Amino acid sequence: MSISKIIEVDSINKTYKNEGLETNVLKGVSISVEEGDYISIIGPSGSGKSTLMTILGCLNQATSGTYLLDGEEVGKLGDRDLSRIRNEKIGFVFQAFHLLPGVSAFDNVMIPLVYCNKTPADAVERVKRALARVGLEHRMDHTPGQLSGGEQQRVTIARSLINDPKIVLADEPTGNLDSKNGAEIMNAFDHLNAEGRTIIVITHDPVVSEHARRILTLRDGEIVSDKINENFKESRAGLARATIE
Amino acid sequence: MTLGVMIGIASLTVIVAIGEGTKSKVLNRIANLGFGPESFSVYSGAGRLFFGRNRNTTSMTLQDVDDIRAMPGVAIVVPRQRKRMRIINKKEFTTTRIYGVSPEWQPARQWKVVDGEFFNDMDMDRKRKVVVLGNTPARKLFGEMDPLGKKIRVGQVFFEVIGLLETKGLTESGYDPDDRALIPLTTSMSRLFRQTHLHSIKVVSMHSEVVQQTMEGVTQVLRRNHGLSPLADDDFRFVTPEGIMQWVTESEQALNRMLLLISTVSLLVGGIVIMNILLVSIRERIREIGVRRCFGARRSDITQQFLFESVLVSLLGGAMGAMLGWVLSTALKHFDFLPARITLEPFILAFGFSMMVGLIFGIHPARKAACLSPDETIR
Repeated sequence: MSISKIIEVDSINKTYKNEGLETNVLKGVSISVEEGDYISIIGPSGSGKSTLMTILGCLNQATSGTYLLDGEEVGKLGDRDLSRIRNEKIGFVFQAFHLLPGVSAFDNVMIPLVYCNKTPADAVERVKRALARVGLEHRMDHTPGQLSGGEQQRVTIARSLINDPKIVLADEPTGNLDSKNGAEIMNAFDHLNAEGRTIIVITHDPVVSEHARRILTLRDGEIVSDKINENFKESRAGLARATIE
Repeated sequence: MTLGVMIGIASLTVIVAIGEGTKSKVLNRIANLGFGPESFSVYSGAGRLFFGRNRNTTSMTLQDVDDIRAMPGVAIVVPRQRKRMRIINKKEFTTTRIYGVSPEWQPARQWKVVDGEFFNDMDMDRKRKVVVLGNTPARKLFGEMDPLGKKIRVGQVFFEVIGLLETKGLTESGYDPDDRALIPLTTSMSRLFRQTHLHSIKVVSMHSEVVQQTMEGVTQVLRRNHGLSPLADDDFRFVTPEGIMQWVTESEQALNRMLLLISTVSLLVGGIVIMNILLVSIRERIREIGVRRCFGARRSDITQQFLFESVLVSLLGGAMGAMLGWVLSTALKHFDFLPARITLEPFILAFGFSMMVGLIFGIHPARKAACLSPDETIR
């Protein structure tokens, strides 16, 4: 595991203005994440988890404070560069899957490649490989409606990985799944982390957060705890066993 | 949503087809009426074309005809009297236009006599009571029978039918050129109408290039003969091929203007409907926009996507409209309702217009979709 910092967030604030009423959603949040780390952010609803995720995912910008992502200061970038970063460096996995309805799994996974600076020549091969990796190569012509929840979430994972991003950002990835499918998805994240990818999972499910090496707790827009997960090595051992089996 | 664009483009296509058809039909009609470019008529009474202001003008006489005939560059001069009268064959009767003309009428109009013959100078001199019938009164009075040699009565005067004119058929404006009967001018003056003034004079000049010059000469002659002071208005008016053409074109233009208005309004409405549907579809597809933005779509990508869709929808409407327009134009032509001529231009026009509608009315929704913040679209 390298020790270079991929994410450095320094005392960022996020304020929403709604009909003259100002709401401070994030109050001076600072996080630094090393490359290859496995982090979960937990907290009750309304604690600012999702807002933090949109900022980390470059979908939104902080009102104040600095955010360095892989050495680039995100706060100073325009739409073009933010789009490029989202395309190249971040893979999103959502609770509600957010697959395009009526579009095949294959085409859904293809989306990030469409918006690449230059669509790679081996795009079709890459999509097939990504779907094979999540075990869905036989269902790539199926639309989201024809897939089960677990399969849909595996398609979104394939989609998030297609551009080989450094970071995978998952927002309640198991929220819409039963425990068996949820465990499978978390297993997939464990594997991705084992390959050296940085994983950030936002959740309020303690079972999910136990998969991470580091657990941050957010409450009322502030980080109230930042601890190393004691059970991480154990789950890694379990993962190793699962892989061998 | 494509309906508005469809109607707009359809009427646009029909307008152009009618315009083109009218132009060629008008030219055709004028040729049909025996109005070559070298001929014109001068009607008694002030006014414009066929709409005389004073129907009681009696100033035009045979003296005018003689003076015009003496002018250089004039080939044929035909004096005319005209009246609508009832003509009777035993129990059958009909009302038709009776013309008292000189025998030069026939070469001037180049209207063939298909049966019998036209009256000649001798008939003129003897003021004979002979008549040449157009197809319409001949059919009404005699049906299937041969009218030649038969007698018809006009007022108290009996005429012998000596000839039948070739059938021209109705013009598309409903004018029936066959609804006429021709008698010698001398007969009409002394026996039927009992008046000496003329209704009009037809002048055929030697060459189409001297028409303008001849008309000026005719104006001088008539003003002098009628004793008009320099300040007085003309008590006669010219009817020229150009004049008729212009008149017909103007009246047809009114129709075109109406259709143009319909098509503009339809295109506008179609455009606004497309815009609103797109705005609604943005709300429906907010997720899709969000997903695309999350995975690297720039604002310009989203703008392009929505603009492309609106142009596509609009073009689809345009294609359907062009097809409808083609069907309508063909139907108009087929049923002789209005003249229509199908050319390529309206279809090119339709393509351009529908593309424009798509672009103009697509830009607002497209920009709106692109400017949504990605984190709001994904929630």
